[in-house]
Amino acid sequence: MLNFKFNSLSEALLMQSQNGQNHGIFVWSVIIIVFISILATFVFYKINIKKISKKLK
Amino acid sequence: MIKNFIHQFASPKTYIYQVDRLYPYILYISLTIYLISIFWGLFLTPEDFVQGNSYRIIYLHVPASFISQSLFMAMAIASAIYLIWKVKLSVYLVRSIAPIGAVTTFIALISGSIWGIPTWGTWWVWDARIVSTLILFIMYLGLISLHDSFSNHEKADKFLSILALVGSVNIPIIKMSVEWWSTLHQPASITISNKPAIDLVMLYPLFGSMIGFAGIVTCLVILSSKLQILKRERNKSWVKNYA
Repeated sequence: MLNFKFNSLSEALLMQSQNGQNHGIFVWSVIIIVFISILATFVFYKINIKKISKKLK
Repeated sequence: MIKNFIHQFASPKTYIYQVDRLYPYILYISLTIYLISIFWGLFLTPEDFVQGNSYRIIYLHVPASFISQSLFMAMAIASAIYLIWKVKLSVYLVRSIAPIGAVTTFIALISGSIWGIPTWGTWWVWDARIVSTLILFIMYLGLISLHDSFSNHEKADKFLSILALVGSVNIPIIKMSVEWWSTLHQPASITISNKPAIDLVMLYPLFGSMIGFAGIVTCLVILSSKLQILKRERNKSWVKNYA
């Protein structure tokens, strides 16, 4: 059940499906967008909280 | 005693000190769960018979869609609390949730569009589920700009709460859109009443990613609400001590 479904890094990057299409570009694009969005939101709030805390001091 | 408890919990000061204590635990636990579930979903689950490997987007798309709708419901509940009991903290939360809701809805829309390319052959269709989610995104942005356009905070809070309550009508529409109209979007794979339409091997990491994402979003709401409280309560002495 918990075996790697890809044999190499290039296979995992390409994510070729049984119909021959490479779906890696779609999956990895979504992962990058999600992680950047989350990270950017964290950074935005951290910076703004620091700024306002400095002003209040 | 209950009244005292509610009064104490509803105070922005108590809230900010309590969430500060909980924040690191929620962040590290949810981040760990999320990353393990994404890894599990990406590399350890089998390929889908119909959609191939593109189905792995489910581990990012479904949590974002679910949370974006849940956040609006949370906003509606907090709005009702503000309008009925005038609890200031609840309206601070409504304003704090709105930008986080916009980010999660943006993730849901973008990931859905990218998933649509290999699955439907197009990144966009004017389909009931997609359009109602786009309306949700516009509503989040609308609520933020409406609140910020007022110079009078009390008026802004009142209008924000009323609009968030009215806007919550869209949530059941999003949920039921795949049943009420003939849509390209697939119906829900997980329902309370029926057996899940998705295999358990694929379902476990999906649940994990949903729990992990919910925790991460909770941390973002905590940060957003902290910023909101510091801005709105800046003249109070406890805020100066806290900063």
